[in-house]
Amino acid sequence: MKKFESQTYYEILDIPVQATPFEIRQAYKSALAIYNEDSLATYSFFSELERQEVLKRIEEAFLILTDQDKRADYDRQLIHDGKIAAAAVEKKEKKKAVPLFQTKNVVEKNALFKRIQDRIRETDVKGIAEGMLSKDLISGSDLRNLRESVGIGIEEIYEVTRITASTLKAIEQDEYDKLPTAIYLKNFLKSYAEILQVDSEKIIAGYMKNLSQNTPS
Amino acid sequence: MSYIFPIGGGKGGIGKTFIASNIGAIFAKQGKTVVLVDLDLGGSNLHTFFGINGVNTGLHNFLNKSQTNLSRVVESTGIPNLSIISSMNCSIEIPNLFHAQKLKIIKAIQNLPFDIVILDLGAGTNSNILDFFLCSDEGIFVVTPEPTSIENAFRFVQGAYFRRLKQLLKQHDFNAAIKEVNRTSDDIMVKSPDVIEKISEHDPEQGKKLQEKLAEFNFKFILNLLQKQNDEKLGEKIEKVCNRHFYSNFQFLGNIRYDPRVYDSILSKQIYVDKYAYTPTSTDLQNIVKTWQGVNTIESYPDQKAYEKI
Ligand SMILES: Nc1ncnc2c1ncn2[C@@H]1O[C@H](COP(=O)(O)OP(=O)(O)OP(=O)(O)O)[C@@H](O)[C@H]1O
Ligand SMILES: [Mg+2]
Repeated sequence: MKKFESQTYYEILDIPVQATPFEIRQAYKSALAIYNEDSLATYSFFSELERQEVLKRIEEAFLILTDQDKRADYDRQLIHDGKIAAAAVEKKEKKKAVPLFQTKNVVEKNALFKRIQDRIRETDVKGIAEGMLSKDLISGSDLRNLRESVGIGIEEIYEVTRITASTLKAIEQDEYDKLPTAIYLKNFLKSYAEILQVDSEKIIAGYMKNLSQNTPS
Repeated sequence: MSYIFPIGGGKGGIGKTFIASNIGAIFAKQGKTVVLVDLDLGGSNLHTFFGINGVNTGLHNFLNKSQTNLSRVVESTGIPNLSIISSMNCSIEIPNLFHAQKLKIIKAIQNLPFDIVILDLGAGTNSNILDFFLCSDEGIFVVTPEPTSIENAFRFVQGAYFRRLKQLLKQHDFNAAIKEVNRTSDDIMVKSPDVIEKISEHDPEQGKKLQEKLAEFNFKFILNLLQKQNDEKLGEKIEKVCNRHFYSNFQFLGNIRYDPRVYDSILSKQIYVDKYAYTPTSTDLQNIVKTWQGVNTIESYPDQKAYEKI
């Protein structure tokens, strides 16, 4: 039989060398579902000792690959051993360099930022922003309120973040069934908050909390 | 040359015969000529799924040499294009089949003039069953979502895999490599799963060749008797595990849901996919045939050398 020990961490988790942290987490979960001790899929396939070994390797794979520095070291080792091509990792670097929301144009983004900054100075949005941030729960209409008082349109946010208008509307109108999965949603909220120059962590926490209280889990 | 599908699985009562008969009926309906061979000597009941309770000819004629041509002992099932070679009159049980008889049956099966040959194997993992399972380049094993069935299926797969490995080690020029390995460790031929790694260590080229040869055999499998509470993804998980830990190929063909009407169809002596053509279980059977056909086109038969001579 094929030896588990001789497989790379990528092979063990069954993911490409360019896998994102999100994909790694998912792969780790599904590997556990297959190899844990009450899984039917591997019932009697291994001795208890073998299973422990396998689970240990999966755990190792997860810990190394989700640590950016350790992963980089590990990749270097794999390239050195000829187990993966350097090009495969380079592709990953390139992929990583591209942010989730590709900015069409940095100049444009900066210009918009400046415009918003000016408006924030001109109008009394500070009060509105502070009022919102002091709340425990933050809804979509709070966000819209802030955006409108700053005086920027949804299309402008789209221009910078590339979050589609329909997603932005779903966020602002609390249309929970149209929202993307949590991990994307948090990223969207972060970009949104950054544009409006308010504390993104508080926005995310307040929005997610409000969301979880209004949706059956 | 025909397509040969052995259907095994280690455990008894998991639906091997039910699946063999119904898949045969589906292929026959597509216009392929199909023969079902009952190789569950001693536990023969393939005929029952067609409501046949007596046959004039069968495998016994071939075994007692009153008929030397296996294709002459087929009987009709009542379904167009679908024939059966019954073993209901065989007095011998499969563990007692002589080596020479086994080889003779395998050779005759490989020369049957049908598009598709389906072998209904009995329960267990004895060497005769495994040799029938390995007589083409693919074999189907059936498993149900129960620990006992899964355990038996893994034993069956491991048994077939190591037997294949042993055949290969005998057939090809691995003698030198084996001798080399044997000098450093004993009992290597018998059941060590590490033999491939050991050979690879001593002779990487031979090791690679061995891995490639093992990869030529395709294990396919079906998850039968699936019920609501079962994990629908179980088959995919098993496929993943097996592909990861064996050098052969594994393909999950699909789930077949439990249907209490299977029992009625047997009582009424009518094949299930005909009597209950539009049930979820019939759809599952149809889909399995489609999945199988997705990777092989029936019209282009594999050439002679795809089949290893035993
Ligand atoms: N999907 C199904 N739904 C309901 N009943 C089923 C299903 N599959 C098989 N059965 C029933 O299970 C019983 C055992 O099936 P079958 O005879 O095909 O098993 P087997 O694996 O060939 O057993 P053996 O090893 O004894 O030959 C039969 O009575 C059959 O009707
Ligand atoms: Mg049977």
